[in-house]
Amino acid sequence: MAKKQYGMVIDLLKCTGCGACALACKTENNTQDKANGQTFNWADYITKVEGSFPNVKYSILPVLCNHCTDAPCVKACPVTPKAMHKHENGITLHNQERCIGCRACQEACPYSVEDVDSAKAAYSVISFNEDEPHGFYRDDREALKGITSSGAEIAKKAGDLPPHRTLYKHSDYANIRRKGVVEKCIFCEHRVLQGEQPYCVVACPATARTFGDLADKNSEVSQLLKKYKAVQLKNNKGEFLKPGEKGTRPNVYYIRSYQASTRKG
Amino acid sequence: MEIRRRDFLKAGMATGVSIALNGLTLNAFANGKDHRVGSGGTDPGQWVSSTCQGCTQWCPISIFVQEGRAVKVRGNPLSKVNNGYCCVRGHLILQQIYDPDRIKVPMKRTTPQKGRGIDPKFVPISWDEAMDLIADKIMELRKNNETHKYLLLRGRYSDHNTILYDHLTKMIGSPNNISHSALCAEVEKMGRFYTEGYFGYSDYDLEKMKYLIIWGCDPVSSNRNVPNTTLKLSRLLEEGTVVVVDPRLNNSAAKAHEWLPIKPGEDGALAVAMAHVILTEGLWNKEFVGDFKDGKNQFKSGQLVDEATFAEKHTHGVVKWWNIELKDKTPEWAAGITGINKDQILRVAKGFAQAAPYCAIWYGPTMMPRGTYVAIAIHALNGLVGAVDHEGGVVTGASSPSSDYPKFDKYQDEIAKAGVKQKKIDQRGTLKFPNLASGRPGSGVSTNNVPNAILANDPYDIKVAIGYFNNFNFSGTEAGRWDKAMAKIPFFVHIVPIVSEMTQFADIVLPAALHHSEEWAISRNKGNLYGHISIHQPVIKRLFDVKSAETEIVWLLAEKLKTKGFSNVYDWLYHEYKDPETGKHPTNAEEFALYATKIRSQKAWNPTLNKDYKGDRPEGWEDFRKKGVVNSPRFEFRKKWGTPEKGNFPTVTKKFEFYSETLKKALTEHAEKNKTTVDGVLEVTHYEARGEKAFVPHYEPPRRHGDRSQFPFDLIDMKSRLNREGRSANLSWYHAFKKCDPGDVNYEDVIHINPSDAKRLGIKEGDLVKVTSTVGSLQIRARLWEGVRPGAVAKCYGQGHWSYGRIGTKDLSRFEPRGANFNEIMPDDYDYLSGSTARNGGFTGVRIEKV
Repeated sequence: MAKKQYGMVIDLLKCTGCGACALACKTENNTQDKANGQTFNWADYITKVEGSFPNVKYSILPVLCNHCTDAPCVKACPVTPKAMHKHENGITLHNQERCIGCRACQEACPYSVEDVDSAKAAYSVISFNEDEPHGFYRDDREALKGITSSGAEIAKKAGDLPPHRTLYKHSDYANIRRKGVVEKCIFCEHRVLQGEQPYCVVACPATARTFGDLADKNSEVSQLLKKYKAVQLKNNKGEFLKPGEKGTRPNVYYIRSYQASTRKG
Repeated sequence: MEIRRRDFLKAGMATGVSIALNGLTLNAFANGKDHRVGSGGTDPGQWVSSTCQGCTQWCPISIFVQEGRAVKVRGNPLSKVNNGYCCVRGHLILQQIYDPDRIKVPMKRTTPQKGRGIDPKFVPISWDEAMDLIADKIMELRKNNETHKYLLLRGRYSDHNTILYDHLTKMIGSPNNISHSALCAEVEKMGRFYTEGYFGYSDYDLEKMKYLIIWGCDPVSSNRNVPNTTLKLSRLLEEGTVVVVDPRLNNSAAKAHEWLPIKPGEDGALAVAMAHVILTEGLWNKEFVGDFKDGKNQFKSGQLVDEATFAEKHTHGVVKWWNIELKDKTPEWAAGITGINKDQILRVAKGFAQAAPYCAIWYGPTMMPRGTYVAIAIHALNGLVGAVDHEGGVVTGASSPSSDYPKFDKYQDEIAKAGVKQKKIDQRGTLKFPNLASGRPGSGVSTNNVPNAILANDPYDIKVAIGYFNNFNFSGTEAGRWDKAMAKIPFFVHIVPIVSEMTQFADIVLPAALHHSEEWAISRNKGNLYGHISIHQPVIKRLFDVKSAETEIVWLLAEKLKTKGFSNVYDWLYHEYKDPETGKHPTNAEEFALYATKIRSQKAWNPTLNKDYKGDRPEGWEDFRKKGVVNSPRFEFRKKWGTPEKGNFPTVTKKFEFYSETLKKALTEHAEKNKTTVDGVLEVTHYEARGEKAFVPHYEPPRRHGDRSQFPFDLIDMKSRLNREGRSANLSWYHAFKKCDPGDVNYEDVIHINPSDAKRLGIKEGDLVKVTSTVGSLQIRARLWEGVRPGAVAKCYGQGHWSYGRIGTKDLSRFEPRGANFNEIMPDDYDYLSGSTARNGGFTGVRIEKV
């Protein structure tokens, strides 16, 4: 059987920029709150405004790891075997056991920054766990002593940390990443290997996201790319690759535009 | 072993560094030592059905439970209203459940003084003590024959509100069950009631629609039907036409074919001009409205038409409407008022009518002074093109099965019967507050007038109040009035999950179970042409001793009142709320909640009652509980049209009224009741129409607070797609994705100002600005945003809490708000015909100054 290349096609006409995919991802993958310039949003958004009133064009672009074929994060990973590595199915995986937290991947990835605040970046694909994760649910302070709860108490009573932790298992990554390692979107490989779709795809109320094997010309993703002109992101500023430009050969494609094609007025 | 990045870099960026790792396993499945691809998949868990109440749609949802914890949320796959998807708000449920600031135990206040910034110094008490204190206060009212001084303030509710809000209030003996409704969206319902006799939300046939005008709302973000619209808008964008009327570039506007950035509050002018175009161009729906007897269009700008020349079908008064209001309302006239180019008005009016009847105007709350006439003018357009009750158009929507709650009247004693007959505290039905919700004076609520009435002791004072799932001190405009009024009420009980502004005025605080995950209840709603009845059930084990407001707390109070010699409430609940499956009487609060839920939904799940039902038919209670939802059959179109001889619209004329005999009747009744004329009523309630104009859809200039020379900007109060009805401010995910509200930014609260205005005022991105209205000032960061009309500024509702948890509030100990609550600077005004609070239409003039 031919080698797989998993990828995603996002239909921007269907997308309403609602935030459901990114939040669903947080609930599936138990990513923590923003800290130390790290968003921990494996799925996120870039917003763009062009023109001026009343001829103003606004769009919001859902972003995630592009699972690049020429993944600079993999090249940059200095450990052997590599912590950041490609699986045969084309997914860029991260193994947390082998990660030494050097953050070379974060530096190398054109869609990542080491600190979103100082870089004034809209997002970063790769985040780094500087502290013990989910400090919010480790905090034992009560707003009203003996009356209202604390993060730590909620976690203890619920029986996990975070209390809404979704449990799953995967050979390379845990459902919560430990202190001292990087983390990023793994296309929900724990689901994909079970024959399920990534959770952002399942959760999108607009059905804007399609996931599948780009190497299979009959797959839905390939069919969409055949039907529509597609673009790929060049960097985390929202710029797209020009025709012919390869970049890092990202495997997330965008079709159609956020705005109706025949805008008047 | 831990290798820090710095250490690693010190060692040099040598390639191929191999690090040995010993004994660090991520989880039972991972070995982490090779490239083996493997997944154990998702651990076992169960999807449990429940209901989301993060907006007014009340979507059936399922919550994924692993090891007793709620971990994921989705739309109930069986639901036809949301096609199995929840919107972004659904996911926020998890953080609501596991909010560290949840109240764990009942508490009482120990500081007698009440006011903003005064620490109540709450101390924990038992449920027994709490109920004892509340029961004592109710017994005292009974003893003094002043049970009417009991007030129940309702916020978010399920069907079970009938027990706490309606029946219990009447059993205690008070007329004062006051809902939040008039703070929310009642004006839009006036538009439907005084044209087609329907007071409620609309539904839309998006699948067959060809032309959609979204007017003053953003249904892919908020309002209603969000998951369904999110799924279906792209087909309309591809195959049809989508137009958005809004001074702000909202999400729908960003996607639409046309954006009409109207001047705030001038919507009525656009609506009547569109009607003018549709009539002069001969594009009205002949099948619905009828035609000139000779087939020749006599609607010519500026010219009166003889009523006798027109044969009307399913509508009433189109020629009267033309003669009284429309004949001079040209697109040129409207362009000058609305700021919308006349060609665009022409194009949209024609495009809309040409798609008829497969078209709709989906309009928003229109909560503005004089808003009733704005809503009527907009909805009249839906009638003019025959889109009302039609396939591909705008419809009433389907209902869903439910059984009646048991009656309480035979348990109501003389004291209670007398108390109920007293006047209501919100002054509804008085000259100033016609509140004509369902065609009768005083039939609607004027929620935001309650503090005024309490402070004036008019009609009397309030001595005991219970509020649940509400926070009027934050959500009411000119919010400071609520602070004063709540401080004046001697005994206030607040039933809530976390401490909010309103809670700061409570004497007793009862920790509430959450609607979506911790209690039994039933909610019914509609959308996507189906009605649904959806279950709420305990999805998880409660973390703390919280209770359900509408059922369990009522039972506990009934038990306590019984010990004090007033057993009627207990007798009513015990005898009437029997388990419909076993016939057993409830013996505790939990059983009562369950039986009430079974009783209300019986018609949906009981096989002997649902056997002829054309919608879903579960095989019994357990089957219904698991599935969680019963969908109605699909809505049937054109039932209301009837025949030209006999219409089925529940209006006075039984037709769709352009000349509203229904409004004429209601206004006349109100005038007579208050010994004045209709014109007299309109004068006191600040409408401009006099005479016949009051009965037709017409333009009224916006009533604005603040002279333009001093307060040059129109303030727009916008809604967030992340607001779970204003209950999201303490959730970190709300702040992490605030940028999904166009123009807003993460982790900030901002006011949108057009860059051209900002430049003129010397304001740069992120500058702190002072925003001043006629009633106050607030400071907030400026966001330069091309998506707001010059001359208008927009601010999203939801932040600015001085008491709403560790994330929602900047400093809880000092009651220092995070962001700014613009309700504090929006004046207390109304659309008086409905009793609704003004918050839309740029009615608040503001001045912006750089700090």
